[in-house]
Amino acid sequence: MRLPFRTGCAAATIAAAASLLAVAARASAVRVAEESPPAILISRQLAERRHLHAGDAVRLGSDPSGRGARPFRIAGIYEPTPDPMHFAQAPLEARLHLPDLLALTGASAHADGPDAVTSINVALIDPAGAGEFAREVSRRLPGSLARPTSAPDQRTRTFVVIERFHLAIAVVTVLGSAVFLLALMVMLVDERRATVGILRLMGFTRGRILTQVVAEGAVIAVVGAAGGILFALVTEGIFNRFFQWRYDTTLVFLRVTPSVVWRSLAIAVPLGIAASFVASWTLLRRQLLALIRR
Amino acid sequence: MRAFRLAWISVVRQPARSGLGILGVAAVGALLFDMLLLSHGLVLSFRDLLNEGGFDARVLATDMVPFDGPRLAHASRLAAQIAALPEVAAVQQVRVVDAELAGASDPSGHEGLTHTAGMSGRDGATHDDRVQFVGNDMRVRPLWTVVEGRDVESAAAEPTVVVNRRLARALGASPGSRVALRGRCGDAADALPPVTFVVSGIADFPFDAATDNSAGGTIESAARLCGGEDVDRADMLLVRSRDEAGPGAAVAAIRRLRPDLHVVTNEQMVAQFSRVEFSYFREISSVLATVTLFFGFLLIAVLLTVSVNQHLGEIATLRAVGLSRGRVVSGILWESVLLVGTGGILAVPVGLVLSVWLDRILRGMPGIPSGLHFFVFEPRALGLYAVLLAVASIGAAAYPMRIVAALPIAGTLRREVVS
Repeated sequence: MRLPFRTGCAAATIAAAASLLAVAARASAVRVAEESPPAILISRQLAERRHLHAGDAVRLGSDPSGRGARPFRIAGIYEPTPDPMHFAQAPLEARLHLPDLLALTGASAHADGPDAVTSINVALIDPAGAGEFAREVSRRLPGSLARPTSAPDQRTRTFVVIERFHLAIAVVTVLGSAVFLLALMVMLVDERRATVGILRLMGFTRGRILTQVVAEGAVIAVVGAAGGILFALVTEGIFNRFFQWRYDTTLVFLRVTPSVVWRSLAIAVPLGIAASFVASWTLLRRQLLALIRR
Repeated sequence: MRAFRLAWISVVRQPARSGLGILGVAAVGALLFDMLLLSHGLVLSFRDLLNEGGFDARVLATDMVPFDGPRLAHASRLAAQIAALPEVAAVQQVRVVDAELAGASDPSGHEGLTHTAGMSGRDGATHDDRVQFVGNDMRVRPLWTVVEGRDVESAAAEPTVVVNRRLARALGASPGSRVALRGRCGDAADALPPVTFVVSGIADFPFDAATDNSAGGTIESAARLCGGEDVDRADMLLVRSRDEAGPGAAVAAIRRLRPDLHVVTNEQMVAQFSRVEFSYFREISSVLATVTLFFGFLLIAVLLTVSVNQHLGEIATLRAVGLSRGRVVSGILWESVLLVGTGGILAVPVGLVLSVWLDRILRGMPGIPSGLHFFVFEPRALGLYAVLLAVASIGAAAYPMRIVAALPIAGTLRREVVS
């Protein structure tokens, strides 16, 4: 099996990001005298908060007191990949070349010595073999933990719970809507009491009238559901923009997917038809004289 | 009173419409009530959890979230300096170490220290072998409450620990059992030798999540788990202020003593978490509360409008026989208040039951302490709920009231006769 490791700078910067968060937040934008200090990248959020720009020189250290800090030059500012687990916290990050990071943190952060990293990201030629690859690495390197990036973990568990919570809210909302719809249909059907009575007198059967009302209910339900989906599509951008502004992130919070559309239709349309049916039936089962009585 | 009676007759006369309207308001109201409980619930619950320990300030090396940032160096000397301040009553050092179970034995020691990785517990379930070891200074009130056996003894011949109920159940451990833990500190985790502890008792840890295995011992034991490295370092110092000084004065005194440290009161920490960590739930509850309130308003407005339109003839007749415009209009308002009020009252118990269900769902998130709740009842939420419903009922009645107020009596009666 070929094991194309993608190591070096990328892995190191990912590993470094968390540990240098506090340090980077304390970086002072002082021009340092040294010639061409090592280059680093800083996150947009850190740049904005500390008024830093590309070309500025900063000092980074692993000690909160600033002891042992080293000079670096900001080579660029990047937009960090949004982390849904920490979207409420501004990503104040710096990315360093691996040798610079190891020199900065030294033995204090790595009991195994300077040649140690927190994790190694691996890009497989065949991503489908990630599970097998992880098992193989764990077998060959006892003590290491290898797992596919798609494997369920605590992070996905959080989102499963959030999804379940939103589903529960949706169920309660649908129940409330169903009652609302039923109340409305009862009133609308009652308004047609005399019309239904006349139709019955003309010879229309209960079944035929019921079919007509249910068909009308279905049309209303489809139009209503379509309106709701259209409203969701229109407001999707507004919601996303609000939350993206609120949390200063590029995360997408709300997305109307085809699956969501179909699920909405699957709930709304039968619900509308059922409400029409129940409301009509309560009227149609009455005696004819009761219907035409004024 | 006549207006109220008019509204009451109108509600009773159409039981299906009124019943469904009340049910709809109850469902929507329950959701609104729950969102109000959620908007502040985490903050209240978190505050209770922080205050439960009896400490009212925290000292950290940086402003990072506790346990994510660097540790405090020379912790015992720092704790002694802070404890000597006149505003401070007590200082507790806290160091949390990730560890894994390396073995366990029963109190008689007959089973020896068997390896337990991915252990299958005596309760029949398979358990995680990760353990969170909480080390603190045993001369100060510890961060746990012993429920069985004795507390940790600093001067014991063998190091002792207390374990939480989950770990005790999984290991079948009781006071006198032995448990071996291997620290997972830095990158040398596998090279660290296991440390054997005598279980002195079983305890409840306030910040335990439902799936956490926890053990508590001295701060020296925590350092020993890490192979004796980083001795005399603590993640955090917990401070109890003197009653006469208060937490604010204690924090100010500590800041004067060590301006390089990050010192916060419980209230400041709650405010910080409320602003950052818990903000999503506050935002989402605001959005959902607005949507449900609008939905409830729409429900009642439509019901009343359709009802008024269906009974324009009757209303015109009542006006014609002498009922004043004001009474008929206030009758509509009372009808709205009756529907919303009854539904709103029904919604409170429904909402409380619903909140238990929703709370259970959200507490399924990993790492949530068992003592933390998302939905917490407070009188303020009930007051706000009543105000919002009152506004919704008045708002919903506005349009039908306008229809009734502008109703031409003669024209309406004529149309009725002709139709």
